[in-house]
Amino acid sequence: MVKKLYKLGLVVSLGMFLFVLFSDIHNLDRTSKNYLSEHYISEGVQETGAINLVTSVLYDYRAFDTLGEATVLLTAATILAFLVPVTKADMLGTTFTIIVYQATKYLIPFIAVLGVYVIMFGHLSPGGGFVGGVVMALIPILLSLTYGIDFSEYKLTPNTKKVVEDIGAIGFILLGLLAVLTGNNFLANGQAGFPLGNAGELISAGLIPYLNVMIGIKVGAGLAIIFNSLMKEQ
Amino acid sequence: MQAAIWLIILPLLTAFFIGISKVFYSYKLLFPLVTGSAILYLYLLISVIDHSYPPKVYSVGDWGLLGINIMVDPFSGLLLLMIALLFLPVIVFSLKYITFHTHNYFILTYIMTAGIAGMVLTADLFNLYVFLEVSSLSSCALVALKKTNKAIEGTFKYLVMSTLGSFFILLATILTYDLTGTLNMAEISVAFQDIPFQIKSILMAFFIFGYAIKIGLIPLHAWLPDSYEESPIPYNVLSSGLVMKSAVYALIRVLYILFGFDFLDETGMLQIGVVWGVVTFLIAHLLAFQQSNVIRLLAYSSIAQIAYITIGLFVGTERGLIGGNFHILNHAIMKGTLFFVIAIFHYSLTAVDIKDLKGLGFRFPLLSFTFVVASLAIVGLPPFNGFISKWLIVEAALDAGFIYAAFSILVGTFLSLTYYLKVIVTLYTKTDKTIEMKEPGLALKLPTIFLGSLCIVFGIAPSLPLSLIDKIPTFLLDHEEYISILLGG
Repeated sequence: MVKKLYKLGLVVSLGMFLFVLFSDIHNLDRTSKNYLSEHYISEGVQETGAINLVTSVLYDYRAFDTLGEATVLLTAATILAFLVPVTKADMLGTTFTIIVYQATKYLIPFIAVLGVYVIMFGHLSPGGGFVGGVVMALIPILLSLTYGIDFSEYKLTPNTKKVVEDIGAIGFILLGLLAVLTGNNFLANGQAGFPLGNAGELISAGLIPYLNVMIGIKVGAGLAIIFNSLMKEQ
Repeated sequence: MQAAIWLIILPLLTAFFIGISKVFYSYKLLFPLVTGSAILYLYLLISVIDHSYPPKVYSVGDWGLLGINIMVDPFSGLLLLMIALLFLPVIVFSLKYITFHTHNYFILTYIMTAGIAGMVLTADLFNLYVFLEVSSLSSCALVALKKTNKAIEGTFKYLVMSTLGSFFILLATILTYDLTGTLNMAEISVAFQDIPFQIKSILMAFFIFGYAIKIGLIPLHAWLPDSYEESPIPYNVLSSGLVMKSAVYALIRVLYILFGFDFLDETGMLQIGVVWGVVTFLIAHLLAFQQSNVIRLLAYSSIAQIAYITIGLFVGTERGLIGGNFHILNHAIMKGTLFFVIAIFHYSLTAVDIKDLKGLGFRFPLLSFTFVVASLAIVGLPPFNGFISKWLIVEAALDAGFIYAAFSILVGTFLSLTYYLKVIVTLYTKTDKTIEMKEPGLALKLPTIFLGSLCIVFGIAPSLPLSLIDKIPTFLLDHEEYISILLGG
């Protein structure tokens, strides 16, 4: 009882402390302190050619961070792939009605189209590589859930997924190195002379669409690996 | 400065290519890929260290202050020098030593190195966090590589504590961005002048708490010995040599550049740091004395040595910074040697307990001698490198008026002598038992002897690394210079 009260007291005092801190920070006078975000908002479209502001920050201004985050995801997928035992669990009564099997079959092309759309139009509309990759990963995940993990891994072996993931990551770095070839800095886009095109067209914003594709491939394959690894049990 | 960015990209590319080669070529391509890239990496490191003074800025994506900047200065040069000294020996050693999950081991090692290089080079607060995550996540994975129960337990502790630390660092980073509207370290530092004292000190507390977990200062150390115990031993060389040190680096970078020396002095953080260091190494030495497992003993000894470094860096004088930084380098070399020797013993006859080492001094004369050299160096006896850096720290502590710290370091030296002597005496105790063992090859012996000889070389000619280390305090004690270079570039 005392221990519980003690824990409760700790949590409440931490909450009060953070509340005071956040309200202090909120009440600070902060005019003219956000020139960076102002710049991203007002100049982002001209400088990067991407209408989607999030994409312009994620794949151009701070593309280097994206590379790091993609690496974290790849590391997580690698860890799960070797930590989880290789033996496969029997799916809990894989006896769905035929409706489920048929619906899954017809759903997959639509998911694929949606995924490709979200990735390709990442610089024009909400979406991008990360979101599109998750959508694409739904295809092997759906296969695993309905037809069982054996069928899913027969269609897309873990090795294939691993290779696709690595190709996505390598592609991202190679695209970044294109700028180095032209004598500019790593991951330079507009500055390296890649045509930004007319903002709003599909082929515009220089390297951003291609970076999106690479991240999409990588995230999709990575999530599929993670899901299948977690489904396996001893 | 194109080479600086390659320091981060090259290990990443290698890791991804190992992933592909695993599927198509199994073991055929592993050896050329790993060694070739490690040698190329060494060349790049040397060329970057060579140009670390005066500091240079490299803007990723040509965005200048709008994007992410990479900066090489003598402080990062020192950490890069450590990578240069440790990385190739560890790779050569691991190629022979690691026989399980070989590909995953190398993938994760390369990713970890990329993360550490990124942490060391970056001049952007969020980028620092990203690379911190890259390095600590892959480090956690390497602990779990053996998949024994103990390894999983150690990994779990490590993962929980490391995530807790990351949480506080991320919280502080977010609040900093919210307050200043920028992530560039120089701009934050300039903008911090208008932030009230109270908020700044809370932010500093978050940063320190987060990084102290990653460094393993007592009482936040409990994960460290457990995670060392069952992990592949060559990884321990990198872990105690680079992963812990990169957290120290990040902490010092954040404190000295973001907050500035004057603020640290004003809040009394310097005194707290020194007291924390003293408490940490006294307790760590006492705990190390009780261990029967050599790896755990070395892990506690690592905590104690990190505490010496903390004292040196928090004394707040030029000399203290030089001594602390020299000890960062020396500890990486000495602990690397010790772990390598234990790894060879483990490889030959799976000996990790002190009692198993009985009589090995006569079986492996050269290796045992290397062990003795490194352990005497880590205790701090002349003429080895550990003596010089410890002496510099003691002198700096005396100069700055921390008499108790200087005195405790001497006490700590005797404490550490007792437990290292225990191991050495066991090594040279005659035994009649005949032991089955594998003969360690040259690939295992060479890296060990290379690092062991560095203990003596840096002890006799400390001017070699000190010529680089001497330039470090200029850019830490007075952060104006760092800021002007970063803003101007």
